Amino acid sequence: MNGVGARVEGVRYSYGAGEALRGVDLAVGAGEQVVLLGPNGAGKTTLTRLLVALRRPSAGRVTVGDWDVAGRRPDEMARRVGYAFQHADQQLFARSIEEDVAFGPRCLGRRRPAVGALLEELGLGARARLHPYDVPAPTRKLVALAGVLAMEPPLLVLDEPTAGLDHEQRDVVLAALRRRAAAGVTVLSVSHDLAFVAEAADRVVVMREGRIVADRRARELLYDREALAELGLRPPATVEVSVGLGLQGRPVRAHEVVAAMRGIRWREELSE
Amino acid sequence: MTALVALNRVSFSYPGAERPALEAVSLEVLPGEVIAATGAAGAGTSTLLLVATGFAPRIVGGTLTGVRTIAAARCGVVFARPWTQLTGLCPTVRDEVAFGPASRGLARADVLAAAERALERLGIAHLAARDPAQLSGGELQRVVVAAALALEPEVLALDDPAAELDPEAADALYDALPGLAAADAAVLLATPDLERAARVATRAVAMASGRIVAEGAPEKVLTGTEVARLARAAGCPPPWPMDLAALRRRVAPDTAR
Repeated sequence: MNGVGARVEGVRYSYGAGEALRGVDLAVGAGEQVVLLGPNGAGKTTLTRLLVALRRPSAGRVTVGDWDVAGRRPDEMARRVGYAFQHADQQLFARSIEEDVAFGPRCLGRRRPAVGALLEELGLGARARLHPYDVPAPTRKLVALAGVLAMEPPLLVLDEPTAGLDHEQRDVVLAALRRRAAAGVTVLSVSHDLAFVAEAADRVVVMREGRIVADRRARELLYDREALAELGLRPPATVEVSVGLGLQGRPVRAHEVVAAMRGIRWREELSE
Repeated sequence: MTALVALNRVSFSYPGAERPALEAVSLEVLPGEVIAATGAAGAGTSTLLLVATGFAPRIVGGTLTGVRTIAAARCGVVFARPWTQLTGLCPTVRDEVAFGPASRGLARADVLAAAERALERLGIAHLAARDPAQLSGGELQRVVVAAALALEPEVLALDDPAAELDPEAADALYDALPGLAAADAAVLLATPDLERAARVATRAVAMASGRIVAEGAPEKVLTGTEVARLARAAGCPPPWPMDLAALRRRVAPDTAR
């Protein structure tokens, strides 16, 4: 599957009194893996909602591939952009997990969507027939993600895809996103989670007070302690360990760090 | 010291559920404690909070067995999904935070003072005049914590209270928890964030399938941190170091890298 890029130009947006976006320009290339970072209230979620026509900018232009979003309805945009809300509960409504996940592809005209493999991929296979509200909230997040992936959109927009998930579920999400990335799908995520950035981003765009204030390669930013501190962030554990142990090659992903640690000889626990 | 909450072999099932969400859980919550409960999704940490504060089964229904004693005069709960507990009645954040103390029937001046204190503590005084419906997820989460705090609860239960917060705000919230667990109050925390929990908890419980599987000092219980996972994957023998300092102590001096 080929990914599709997105572009916002000179975009502004206001919620009543406060201006949430104050002139934003951003181009995301087809197949890029981008994370939007920034403090609460920076405008990250607002920006992503413009891409699916859930909100309309008061000024500026938004395009997804060759589509101008201004002339499109949210249901049309859903063919190109898969949007996972920060709160899964905002997008779950069917009586069973499998029905919920099949809803999107049905809307695209597929009579009998094959969602079984997808549910297996996200570790939901055994729960397919349960009501979405009979599984814990973090698991519902995976259900909502499955519903988005089921439509096989060329652009994924994910708002805090790992918030509240346990380690195992995070690994499931990361693996699923890695497979989409390898297939060329573009992924734009909003996240506060630098461990997620380390595993899933090529590029990091930082927002603050409705503007883009930095745009960096992920690997470079994660080793730039000063820049992170300025953003109120600390490096992820992988980078802390890499720096703390003097590992070679600036690894950022867990498997890279583990590979670089292989040569270490360990002491048994020291008695203190 | 009298426990604010005491659970003695308490089991709890949600209405219509096939399996209990909590099974034979025993736990005492003492004044001054910050107790962190961790576990995989579905382990029962959220349910533990609801049961310990009396919200389950009183509000959510279901069946409770065993002996539960809640001595705390007031319990505040912050749910994992903050928008679910907005009153929907208040045009401003200040009103929202004042709603709890106002419904306790306090004098107006005391209500406002409690609200202001809570807003200050969460660092959101600047949001006081905003419409709660127009806040970002992270701002809303702090409003909801402030609203619970304004009740001046003796047990404050927080379900993953930093899920929506940026790292700076998350640090600030966690660092405030020991201060909230005052001489006569305690904090009960359900969280997947082992690193932050380890920094502030006085005690930790690990849960799996509705049961408490480990309980004690945070450094003994919260052993699944990112650093510990990396150390384990890289062949470091157990017990796995929880943080970088401990990891560095485990590297043999003559090691090749």
